[in-house]
Formats: sequence, C-alpha cells, structure tokens
Amino acid sequence: MELPELAARWMHALTSTAYIPLSHAEIEQSLLDFLRDLRESPESVAYRLVSLHATGPDSLRATIEVLSPTFELPLLARLSSAYAQAMRTDAFDQQEQIKVAIVRAKQRVERTLKVSQARFQEVFDSAALGIAITDLDGRCVEANDKLAEIVGLESGADLTDRDLRDFYHPEDLVALGASYRRVSEGQADRFRDQRKLIRADGEPVWVQLVVSVLRDADGRPTHHVTMVDDISELHLLQRSLDHQLLHDSLTGLSNRQHFLSQVERQLDGTPITLYHLGLDAFSVVNNGLGHDTGDKLLKIVAGRLGRLAAERNAVVARIGGDEFALITVGDDVTSTVEEIQEVLAEPTFVDDHGIALSASIGVVDRPPAFATAAELMRCANAALRQAKARGKRQWALHDPHDDARRRGRYALAASMPGAWEHGEIEIVYAPVHDLETREVLGAVARLHWDDLSHNDTMALADSTGLSLPIGRWLLREACAQAARWVEEFGDGAPTLHIALGALQSRDEDLVADVKRALDETGLPPERLRIALDISSVLAGDDNALVLHDNGIVTALDGFRGGHDELAVLAELPVRSVITRAPAPDPDSPLYQAMRALITTVHGFGVRFAVDEVHTLTDAAHWRRAGADGGIGLLPALTAAEVTDLLTTAASLPPAAS
Amino acid sequence: MSERVSWVPEGVDTGRPSAARLYDYLLGGGHNFAADRALAEKFLQAQPNARAIARLNRSFLRRAVLFMIEHGIRQFLDLGSGIPTVGNVHEIAQKADPEARVVYVDFEEVAVAHSQLILEQDPRATIIQEDMTKPDEVLAAARYSGLVDFAEPVGVLTAGVFHFVPPQADPNAIVAAYRDAVPVGSYLAVSQFTQDLQPEEMAGIVEVMKKSQNPMYPRTKAEIEALFDGFALEEPGIVPTPLWRPESTNTDDPDKAGIYAAVGRKV
Repeated sequence: MELPELAARWMHALTSTAYIPLSHAEIEQSLLDFLRDLRESPESVAYRLVSLHATGPDSLRATIEVLSPTFELPLLARLSSAYAQAMRTDAFDQQEQIKVAIVRAKQRVERTLKVSQARFQEVFDSAALGIAITDLDGRCVEANDKLAEIVGLESGADLTDRDLRDFYHPEDLVALGASYRRVSEGQADRFRDQRKLIRADGEPVWVQLVVSVLRDADGRPTHHVTMVDDISELHLLQRSLDHQLLHDSLTGLSNRQHFLSQVERQLDGTPITLYHLGLDAFSVVNNGLGHDTGDKLLKIVAGRLGRLAAERNAVVARIGGDEFALITVGDDVTSTVEEIQEVLAEPTFVDDHGIALSASIGVVDRPPAFATAAELMRCANAALRQAKARGKRQWALHDPHDDARRRGRYALAASMPGAWEHGEIEIVYAPVHDLETREVLGAVARLHWDDLSHNDTMALADSTGLSLPIGRWLLREACAQAARWVEEFGDGAPTLHIALGALQSRDEDLVADVKRALDETGLPPERLRIALDISSVLAGDDNALVLHDNGIVTALDGFRGGHDELAVLAELPVRSVITRAPAPDPDSPLYQAMRALITTVHGFGVRFAVDEVHTLTDAAHWRRAGADGGIGLLPALTAAEVTDLLTTAASLPPAAS
Repeated sequence: MSERVSWVPEGVDTGRPSAARLYDYLLGGGHNFAADRALAEKFLQAQPNARAIARLNRSFLRRAVLFMIEHGIRQFLDLGSGIPTVGNVHEIAQKADPEARVVYVDFEEVAVAHSQLILEQDPRATIIQEDMTKPDEVLAAARYSGLVDFAEPVGVLTAGVFHFVPPQADPNAIVAAYRDAVPVGSYLAVSQFTQDLQPEEMAGIVEVMKKSQNPMYPRTKAEIEALFDGFALEEPGIVPTPLWRPESTNTDDPDKAGIYAAVGRKV
C-alpha cells in the first residue's frame, strides 16, 4: 500500500478514537510524515502521536491494526513501547499541570480569605464592641479583647473554649437560650436585648446584646456571633440621675417629690400616719454657727430619723430646709411623736458645739382614702404651723375644720404680692370722728383689698413678709395725698392718721422712712399722726419716743388695758391709745370697768380712741364710757371720694358743717 | 489556615468531582482526579458512547470557531470554558489568525487557575472568573479585560454549557442578555445534551449527575431553538454534533451523539 493511502486509512481510524484538534487534511499530512519516519525512529513517531493527541483508549490498537500489514512486528513493538512511555510522560505532565493549578487556586482562595480575614481581624480587634463567636453549644471559638475587658478578663484568648453563658445572669439563661435558638433556627435574623452580665469578679455589668448566626456553605447554622456593648456607664448615669431626681443631695433621704409618690402609693385605705417635722429654731443654728454646721446637723438628724424609720418600716424624707416628713402604717401617734423628740433631743456635737434639737410636728392620722398626697402634705403642714404657734417641741393633729379657714387665708396670702403689683391693693381713708362733737378729726389711711379689713390685710402682709414694703408704700402715698389736700384745702384738709403693722412699728428704719416721706411730700409734721402697734412698745422699741422727739404725734394701736400697757403710758409721750373691743353696754358689768379704764388712760393725759365703731348706738355707748374718738362710723373712702367731699364741704357755708 | 479561622469554609475541594474535569477525562486528558474519574466511570455506564460524545462536542466547537473566523469574527467570548484541554478556542482561532482574541469565562477555581497557567504567555487571551449565568457581571469583566470590543461582532461560545443551567435560572434570558450586549453580525454557538436522542441513556446521565455539583438539564430541540431568539440559525440548523458542517464524510452515528449543536447569527 502506498504511504498516502495508508495515511488516509490511519487518519480515519484515529479520529474516531480521539479528538485531534486539526482538520482531517492536516491530520493526514502529519500521519504521512510519521509513516515516512517510522522505520528510522518509531520512538519519535510515538511521541509525535501523543503530541497530536491521538491518545484515546483505542488509539494504539487502531494504529497497530492499520500499520501491521505494512510494518513488521519488532518495529511496531518499539512504537507501542515508546507510545506507552510518551503517554505516561504526558499524563504526568498533565497531572503536574493540574496540581499547579490546584495549588494556585488554593493560594488565591487563601489570599482572598487572608485579606478578608485580615479585614475581619482588624474590625474584630479594634471594635468598640465586645465580639464573641461561639459554636451552637455556646462555647467561645473566638472573642476579642474588648469583650474580655467587659467581662473582666485579660484578653480575648482567655475566653476561648469558655462557655459564654457562664457570664449570663442565671435568671437570664432560659430567656437568652430561647433567643439564641430562634436565631439559629432561622426564625429571626438577629436579636437585640439588654441584659446583665456577671463579670469574672462577680460584679454585674449592663450590656446591650446583638446576636446573629453564621452559616456554612450549605446554609446550616454553625456559629453565633454575639456583639456586646457595655452600657453600664449609661445605666449608672441613668440611675444616678434618677436618684438625684428623687433624693435630697445633702442627706440622701428621699426628696419631697419622691416622698409624695410614696405617699400616693399608700393611699389605698392603708391606715397611714403622716408626720411633718419642722426643727425648732433651726435658723438660730444656721445664723449663729454657720450653714456648714447647720448642714452637718441636718445630716445627723436625717441619719437618726432614717434609723427610726427603718425600725418601723416607715418612709422618711427631707421635704424642706429644716423640714422632714415621715409616713408610718398602723401607728400610735403619741408614742411615735415621743420617740421622734427623744431621738432629736439626744445632744449632738457639731464642730465642738453641743446642740439638742426639738421639732414641731404636724400629724395627719389615718386620712380618708380619697385624699390626695398633695392634700395630705398640705394638711400636715397646716398642723405643723399650728404646732409651731404653740411654741417649741409641740405637736398638733390635723383638724379638718380649722384647716378650711386657714386654707383661705393662705391662699390669700399667696396671691397678695401679685395683687399689690397689679394695683389691686388700694389706700382708702376712714374718717376719725370726735365722739362728742361728731366732728371729723382726720382720716386714717388704710389698706383695702377685696373684702378684707385693713387689719386682716396687714396681718396677711406680715405673714408674707410684704408688710414692710407695703407699709412704706402706704406711708409715702398717704403723706403725698394728705399734702395735696393741705395744699388745696388748707386747714380744711384732714389730719392724716396712719396705723402701722407690728413689723413696721418695730422697723429700725421707721423714723427715717417717716421723715423721708414728710420731706419728699412736703406734708407738715403736725398733720401726721402715727399709730404704732402697742406690741412694739411693750417689746422696748423706742420708735415712739424718737418720733415724738421729731415732732410727730404718736398713738398706740391695739391697746387692751393691761397693766404693762398702762405702765408704758406713764413713760411714753403718746397722744392717744386705740382699742378694738365690743362697745360697753351701759347695762353690763363691763361698762364700769371700761369707764374706769378710760378714766385711768385719761389720767395719763392720753386720749382714748376706738376702732371698728360701726353703729351710732355703739358710738353713744363709747361716748358715755368716756371715749374720745371713733373710727368706722362712716365707711372708708377713696382718695378721690375724700377730695370730692372736701370740695363740697368747702363750698358750703361753715354753719352747715 | 490558622485555627482561629476554622469557621471559614474552604474554597477548593478536590474531593468533589467537577464536570469540567470529567469532560477532560472523557477527552483522554490527564487534568483530573480520582473523584472525577469515578464519576466518569458511572457516566460511561449510563452512556457507553460518552467518549465519542465528548470528542464530537469538542470537534463541533472547533468547527464553530473556524466557521466564525471565516465569517469575520476575531473576538470570542467562551462561556463556561472549563479545563483547558486539547484544542482550545484560542489555539484554534489564533492558528487561523494570530490577532484573534479570546476571553474565557469560568467560575470553578481549578479551571480558572489552570486556564491562567495556560494563558500566562498569551496577551490576546485571558480567563475571567465569573458565573456565566450572571451576564451583567461577565460582560463588565469582559469589557474590563480590554480584549473584547463590543462595537465589533463577537463570537459567543457555549459549548456543552447550557445543560448545566437549570430552567429556573432562565437560560433564554441569559442568552438574551449576551445577545443584547453584542452588535448585529455577532454569532452564538450552542451545544447541549438533549433527550431527543437516546432518551434512556440521557435519563441515566441525568441520574448520575444529579448528586454531583453539576446536575444536568437536557433540552429538546424546541427549547434549544428558543435560545436563539434574535438570531438567524446557520445551516444546517439544530442537529446532532457530527452533522453540523462535518469536515468530511461522517463516520459517527448521529443518533448516539447525545448533543445538539447549532450556530446563529444575530440579526
């Protein structure tokens, strides 16, 4: 057979045994070359066959079948042997190649992993959050240093192989276990929770947990990731703020607000007793020994009351500067009050000063269930005021009837500054009559506010600390008005009488105030009569004397006829006394007594005037008893009304007056 | 790998057989492992003609590339190129025209690493590691490679690939995405297993491959025709591999070829 024909047959035989990536013509040409070289080097042909990729399982058999009729056996044996060797080499080469590929692929995957691992590690190590990766049993595979810090360990490595659950609060184990399961079972992507961890040293630490799950390539959960944010500082701050809001910073006791809420909680028919304590004369300590000492004393008192409260399962609070409150349940009031006083009376040494304290105590016992905490506090406070009015170391039980009256008064007092500021308090002028001639001797300048009398208004002003400013205002305004009347009506103008409240009567600036009022308004001193509260004179104040020395006629208001008062009349140059008393009915035994008193007063050269004489009958009775002047027969008039009256009087013939 | 990353899954597992290495083995290659060969033996039991099928499929790829070269195509996108074995696209194309450029696309780590080894010295061919069922990413990477000019016609090759794409991945949409990315005059070559030929053996293959990481989805001629939406099929249309423009008289039995092949031109 010619070689080309053999090559064609060979090509057809081979191409069905292996894929040779060449055209049939190309393959045929190669094989023809092989045939020509075969006798000289069957080994070379074998290698070229393998290179051509004539390497199918049946390629050698097909080759031998095609070539055996033309070529002798030893040659074909050499070809076969070399072919096998070439195949081996080729297989090794390819295996080597694929192994290199494998190594490279692995390296690349590792490199990618390393990069992402490095990224992860950086996040893991530098995170402000504690992070733990745990297996599904809770065992830590890896944890960062921050987590170790949170749970009180040295480094993240200390957590490896430890059960993260060791750090959970035992009470949280069940709930947290359920949450972790929900995440690993895919019912939730993650959960967040605020829990308390228990540190290695046993201390609790508040944390925010965020837990998610890691899955393998097949989506099966393999690990949990637990992120832990230490929020104890926030918690502490929150709790500290809460505490500050509810506690007194000096003594650490509950404050008023906290106390109120605790009272509120017990207002369900529980037989509670509320004690409102005001330390007696605490201002003396503060003023005399200084506020530091005062504060120390308050702390000591707080400590003692705190112990007393603890013994009786009571709640104690500091509800004001020197005021404390106590709430007890099913209590015996008398014995508790006694115990409180005993506790306070124990001498206390503060800065080398031995101080024994007492308290005035207002008590509200077993209030009705419908009362509000604020009402109770107000009632207790009212009772405390009552107790204080009785002196030191007193206590008073809240009286609901008394309270209603006081409440109105306090409400008024509270609104007084506003009323004054808004001009609701005005000055009115009440005529002073000569009881014998019925002549108008002058006008008493008085405060008028709503339906309140001058005296009630002044008393209220005293209780609010307004009496001095209001008194000065009254003094100045009335003097200015009187000066205008003098200017306009000359001798027809009324003499101005001003009755001062108790505080103003004692005020050391009084004389200066009076002189300034006269100077500034131009009112002649003889046109002014000042009535001082008799209590100031009894207390030894010398305002009356100084005023007299300055040419101002004075009177004493609030005269009751006591011996001490009469004694004062012997010493002081006063023109008159003013009293408030029921008019002496000539048929009553009092009549003689009053008449004797007035005679006695007259004996000192002092005139006797009566305030609050509202009827002509009363005026007649007083006149019979010997009184000289009276106030109240005509209603008080405003300045404008007085001006109108004076204008009218001036235009009438003198006989008609 | 250090102990601390033990929870990170491994990336390369040679213990799991791969379809690419199975194909290499069937073609008489040595780029395979015991697990691949074990799977190949089962494959051969189900389809005794598997070696011929592999050879015929590889042969079709060669003829399709040469056909495209003849029709002016100088750049190729070989989707799911697998293990570079004998008669690779760049070798065939560059033998015809040394300027021809080829971008191989495969997802499997070892196939990619192997391709890189082969292509290291070739500036006109490269491999990109992408999933061919994600056309957007493949096309972006192909543009980035600088080897494909999408203003010029492209030869898109999917030889023995689509039978690994499940119906739910919507193969028609995948082809459409590639079609829309290339200009008119571009070519698409498809070869894929069909149950139209030797349905029993085909069912056997599906069964064998079901448990591998590359299960197979044979398609009917009609289903394959649907892939060519927007393309005009070149003669002789969709036929068993040995019947697609054979070089000389075909001696293989088309009924045992297992795989349909076709080439279309974008219109």
